[in-house]
Amino acid sequence: MKEITLNVNGENHRLEIEPHWTLLYVLREKLDLVGTKEGCNAGDCGACTVLIDGKAINSCLFLAVRSEGRRIVTIEGLAQNGKLHPVQQAFVDVGAVQCGFCTPGMVLRAVSLLAENPQPDATEIRQAISGNLCRCTGYVKIVQAIELAAQDVTTGSGVSDE
Amino acid sequence: MSNAYQVVGKRAPLVDSIDKVVGSARFGADIKLPGMLEGKILRSPHPHARIRYVDTAAAEALPGVLGVITAADTPMVRYGTIIPDQTILATDKVRYIGDEVAAVAAVDLETAEAALRLIKVDYELLPPVLDMEAAMRDDSLRVHNDVPNNIADHIHFERGDPDGGRRDAYACFTRRFTTPAVHQCYLEPNSCVATWSENGSLTLWAPNQGPFAARLVLARALVMPEDKIRFIQTFTGGAFGGKTWQQVWPITAVLARKAGRPVRIVLTRQEEFEATLPRVPMIIDLSMGVYRDGRLAFKETRIMSGNGAYSISAPAVHYVAATRYDSLYRLGNIRCTADLVYTNTVPTGMFRGFGNPQMHFAGESMMDMLAEAVGIDPVEIRRRNAALPGDTSAHGWYLGSCAVQETIEKAAEATDLVNRRRGGRPLADGKTFWGIGMASCIHVAGNRTIYKPYDGSNARVQVSGDGSVVVYSGEADLGQGCRTVFAQIAAEVLGVPMDAVTVAAADTDFSPFAIGTVASRVTTLGGLAVDLAAKDARDKILAAAAENWGVPAQALDMENGSVISRSHPERRLSFPVAAEIASDALGGKPVIGVGEYRTEGVVLPDPQTKYGNIAIAYSFGTQVAEVLVDTETGRVRVLRFVAAHDVGRAINPLGVEGQIEGGIAQGIGYALLEEIKMDRGRVLNPDFLDYRIPTSVDIPPIESILVEPDDPNGPFGAKSVGETAVVPTVAAVANAIYDAIGVRLTDLPMTPDRILAALREKRAGSQPSSSGA
Repeated sequence: MKEITLNVNGENHRLEIEPHWTLLYVLREKLDLVGTKEGCNAGDCGACTVLIDGKAINSCLFLAVRSEGRRIVTIEGLAQNGKLHPVQQAFVDVGAVQCGFCTPGMVLRAVSLLAENPQPDATEIRQAISGNLCRCTGYVKIVQAIELAAQDVTTGSGVSDE
Repeated sequence: MSNAYQVVGKRAPLVDSIDKVVGSARFGADIKLPGMLEGKILRSPHPHARIRYVDTAAAEALPGVLGVITAADTPMVRYGTIIPDQTILATDKVRYIGDEVAAVAAVDLETAEAALRLIKVDYELLPPVLDMEAAMRDDSLRVHNDVPNNIADHIHFERGDPDGGRRDAYACFTRRFTTPAVHQCYLEPNSCVATWSENGSLTLWAPNQGPFAARLVLARALVMPEDKIRFIQTFTGGAFGGKTWQQVWPITAVLARKAGRPVRIVLTRQEEFEATLPRVPMIIDLSMGVYRDGRLAFKETRIMSGNGAYSISAPAVHYVAATRYDSLYRLGNIRCTADLVYTNTVPTGMFRGFGNPQMHFAGESMMDMLAEAVGIDPVEIRRRNAALPGDTSAHGWYLGSCAVQETIEKAAEATDLVNRRRGGRPLADGKTFWGIGMASCIHVAGNRTIYKPYDGSNARVQVSGDGSVVVYSGEADLGQGCRTVFAQIAAEVLGVPMDAVTVAAADTDFSPFAIGTVASRVTTLGGLAVDLAAKDARDKILAAAAENWGVPAQALDMENGSVISRSHPERRLSFPVAAEIASDALGGKPVIGVGEYRTEGVVLPDPQTKYGNIAIAYSFGTQVAEVLVDTETGRVRVLRFVAAHDVGRAINPLGVEGQIEGGIAQGIGYALLEEIKMDRGRVLNPDFLDYRIPTSVDIPPIESILVEPDDPNGPFGAKSVGETAVVPTVAAVANAIYDAIGVRLTDLPMTPDRILAALREKRAGSQPSSSGA
């Protein structure tokens, strides 16, 4: 066991962990942040996507020990003061959510995209989310939601990423 | 369409979508109980073997292990959703690679996995039964000793005069179409949490498609009274047919009893591919013919369906493949023979469309071949044959509403299909070909054969004294949005805003009985029950208001959420005030509206002839695909989909579009990418890297056209769309490929290798042609 401090959603957590534990495992089983989903545990589906220092990563492939000293944002930490992030709001408004299992990862992937590229076109959006599988929506409304959120972020009608 | 309603017909985001975007929705694996253990299942590494003994001593002795179970810990009765051929854990034999042999509960996953490795199983290997045609021979080894020829189910029926139709046909073709096992690939793996109380009752949490149907089979498997089992629906991360039955439920239950603690089992993605219930693979030998004028002369079908090692719902899937397509057109001369065959492979089951996409791939490919043979276009042949409203089909199905013709016309018009067909001419680069293809479909809204004792649905609508409303239904939301549709229906009837309505999750202790989310039945049948329950609540509120005012109840009405006097419309009570009056009249308890809907005019089809009207309504659709085919690489790119669907009235158009888009995406995967590849019973591609489902870059823009005839039976005229959306997709892609490059692909998936092989055959002049005049 190794003692580390993880900064998750702005809070520090002191934890004893095994060196081989993934960040996904620690988030779900030790911090009870079960909004981060496990769809394949192999880096193929993107359901476990979280932000590390603003960048989207697959937390099932990321060792928890490597996360020390970095800012981790999970889906639970995205809405601020009860107000949804523009990406979350857009997913609701355009009907980009069906079963919701890919949604946390998909939303965080989109947040990371918009931080890098605030005005992506549909092709760039499709490329950016191609590592996040969705079996319900056919991606049509997910792409629309990200386009809508991009407008909201640039027009300042919502909060921006961190 | 014109819409006099306030809530019904409006685009409504899912009522639970905020829970899902903030991560607070609790799915199966998110459930945690105090003292909960982690469970793992030991699976057979052999496709067919006799179990000599299972030695669990070393596993039990491992520190941290609190329970190990084998078949001896289970009731060892045979059960099944249709055919009783399963046990909770393997008893005498294992029948596929992945068959459940034992299970372990331990303090953590690593200990449970270590314990699995300590279990010794002595197997006597048997030759596996793998090929369907060989399995049916008299000398074949049997998967189940009591089933000769490995035939789990046999169907044979005739309508009209198929031989006469064949004789009189102007053109006819015979082709073999094959479809592989493909996986539902819901993003959420199956899981279960189980716990027992001291009085011997069991509580389970699991993602599923209908907790009552699940409980029925669980009670048989565990040999205990149904009401001693409480089955709670968690948020369900997609299902598409794959979560109607799962072995992990009874295994977790038995393991929790043995360990004396709550147990959670979450399947890995590999277990999902190797040991859950993928789509039934089929070999379809189809002959169809047309008269000179393009009217269908006959259809003759021989189907072999792959059951895998156990039956689950495959017999019902097989029956759908044998019958459903026939009612799309005015088709009278039909013969069908179909066998469902056991093999030592993963048991198959239901997947969106339920046997219907398989047969539509064959039938709708054939329609284009026949159109070409008589020299009419794909639009015209479908129009000429399409069923019409008021028809009773060859199988006795009464089509109370049917706008298939309109879907054909609208899809054709939106794509200008007739004028834009290319007929195998290349683009400027000389190697890329653009093509367009159409396919139509029929599906059901409900299916009488799903649960023989009963067909209908039930709901309660509870209105509290403060005017808040809760809808209770036992039907399950898998993400398709029935909670939203139920909230819309209740809000519409009561005249309250949607956010005043909560729809409770399904729970067998509290929800009224329901059959569950299968057969595209929930909006229609579940919706009718909610409609009745909301009307009952409304009538009770009106009665209380009438008594309060000292007028007869008939003098009052509900309008935009207020109780009004018909004769003095200025006299009104707001909904919360009326609800409070009604609640006070009951001594302060909420008003409970009860809705018990039973289907009328629907019959159980004859077990032999399969004749009988199975649903209160039927949905239809026509999809058009546009593709690019690269003849150097064989790669197919789908450029665009236009889908016109007859859904009855769309209660939530946003949800209907979502269903169409998702259905087409799954259909594109089925058409071009997906196949569970097997070698001697072993799944070769049990992960998303090797089993590719469509990603965001594979799916084109999809345009939905909603055709909304008011159905005479559906709630507010609504029918179904969930499964319908995937039924014609594969055939539309196949027909577009044919238009592009002039080759007819009859095996799924239509991979680059198959495209290139078909092109080589075409160049060699060996593509078979019409056998007709």
